[in-house]
Amino acid sequence: MDKLIEERIFKILMVVSLGIVVGSLFMVIAVIIWNGAPSLSISMITQTPKGGYYLGKEGGILNAIMGSLYLAFGSVILAFIISLPAALSLQKDYIGKTRLAYYIRLSLDVLWGTPSIVYGAFGFIVMLYFGMRASLLGGIIVLTILQLPIMIRSMEEVIKLVPYELKEASYTLGATRFETTFGVVMRQALPGIFTAVILAFGRGIGDAASVLFTAGYTDSLPRSLLDPVASLPLAVFFQLGTPFPEVQRRAYASALILLLIVLTLSIVSRYLSRKFTKNIIR
Amino acid sequence: MKSHISIQDVNAFYGDHQALRNITVEIPQKQVTAIIGPSGCGKSTLLKCLNRLIDLTDGASVSGKIIVDGINVLNGSIDVTDVRRKMGLLPQKPNPLPMSIYDNIAYGPKLHGKPGKKEMDEIVEKYLKISGLWEEVKDRLKSPANKLSIGQQQRLCLARGLAVEPDIILCDEPTSALDPVSSQHIEQQLLKLKTNYTIVIVTHNIHQAMRLADYVIHLYLGELVEHGHANEVFENPKEERTRAYINGTFSIDLKIDSEANLKGKMCPFNFVYAKQALHNLEDGKILKIIVDDPTAVTEVPRGMEADGHKVLIVKEINKTDWEIVIQK
Repeated sequence: MDKLIEERIFKILMVVSLGIVVGSLFMVIAVIIWNGAPSLSISMITQTPKGGYYLGKEGGILNAIMGSLYLAFGSVILAFIISLPAALSLQKDYIGKTRLAYYIRLSLDVLWGTPSIVYGAFGFIVMLYFGMRASLLGGIIVLTILQLPIMIRSMEEVIKLVPYELKEASYTLGATRFETTFGVVMRQALPGIFTAVILAFGRGIGDAASVLFTAGYTDSLPRSLLDPVASLPLAVFFQLGTPFPEVQRRAYASALILLLIVLTLSIVSRYLSRKFTKNIIR
Repeated sequence: MKSHISIQDVNAFYGDHQALRNITVEIPQKQVTAIIGPSGCGKSTLLKCLNRLIDLTDGASVSGKIIVDGINVLNGSIDVTDVRRKMGLLPQKPNPLPMSIYDNIAYGPKLHGKPGKKEMDEIVEKYLKISGLWEEVKDRLKSPANKLSIGQQQRLCLARGLAVEPDIILCDEPTSALDPVSSQHIEQQLLKLKTNYTIVIVTHNIHQAMRLADYVIHLYLGELVEHGHANEVFENPKEERTRAYINGTFSIDLKIDSEANLKGKMCPFNFVYAKQALHNLEDGKILKIIVDDPTAVTEVPRGMEADGHKVLIVKEINKTDWEIVIQK
């Protein structure tokens, strides 16, 4: 009888937790769509803000959409180039078991938990020192640093999951460590690596605090890496901060666009990773 | 008998634990050599020394010499990829690579040269035929290797190993994960292959060793107990311990005079209990003990032999329990 009660209590707990998760997710999406969808228009994603846009007049947020895409893709590519060798080097075939690796992991975990405003402030000081102004380049670099801990640690974990037998198979065929890493380990870990990249992209495109000082904000599209750029999270922030209901609704529309970008990318990457991973050993 | 692999005074350690003790033995060319012995006796370790896979184990160290074609495999300064290429390995559990059937075979040859497309097709076909898999997969070479059955995967691993053109095939209990039909299939392939390859097979299936082996090496607790031609070793072992091992596997009815269940006891207490039980017996009587402490499996027989008793059987009963039969 006791066991039955335990079972029941736990079942109720699970249902309640799942309810909270699904419910809050649904509410976030519902509120954004409810408030944003009516204001969403073609001009919103094809035009930059015209004069008086923030007072409720003509224009769109193309500047922020493009800015965010530039920032996110630029930083994800840069972070990927740095993260992959770093994650591989943290494996036990390389330095994984050393004390150094332990401290690297520890500091990455600390950095992962560090609020992004700290990254923004850090980037700002460094840029002041070098006499740079807020720019696309500055934003990309700070976002890259922001993404590194996420990407390295999640990649490291998925690469670690590659079964030892696969590496052994490759080694017995006379493969070197490098050939084994790129010929076998990477193939097996590919879906996980995809996920790590998407995770980092999500954090990069959604972060407002780190780009506030480093990328700045502008109503025009950037013409070079050294121009300031707008970004979607800041667009949401600024529009929501105006006293005009019409502009506030556009903030929700901007949030909706942000949501759609992340959603599209998740779906595409899922599709791609499924395509690439039919050979994975389970 | 022409020797192909010459093992000279090999000692292997995992940290403080000595897994191999002064092993010196010759492995004959183009014959099947079976390494037999109970689990934990160092069979797989010896195999891993041959292709230096032991390098990948943390804290492992090896001393001595293993001469293959005039080269000391254990020499730290030689190119280990050349060594491994000379020896195909058939693992305990099939381990296809995360790629298509075709690419699994092509992986090795691609590492060691760049055959053209046509050449590669020929290589793939040739070795799939040798391993007896061709007819089953020729229409789906591009499909993932993980879709094959376990038995097929093991033959794929055999073909993959052969495709880098080794002289030696090492098999580490190659049929222990397979069903009887697939096991038979692998055994048949190995018998066919011995005309061209030196085959070393680790097995704790005595029957398999009898079916396949021309030459037998019996290891026990890291020591070389006996080696020689298969029929001599199986029919007329020189060493009592070999006889005990072979008998144990056949579970010949020994008259057990006393029995002690020492499960749950740790070393060295189970050793003490076993000694007490033996103390109460007359000389020549037989004591059977059951232990589940892995240390006991190696240390109790060693201690008993040191005390002058005779260890007849060391046998794995199930995943955790071992049976040790001692004659006073």
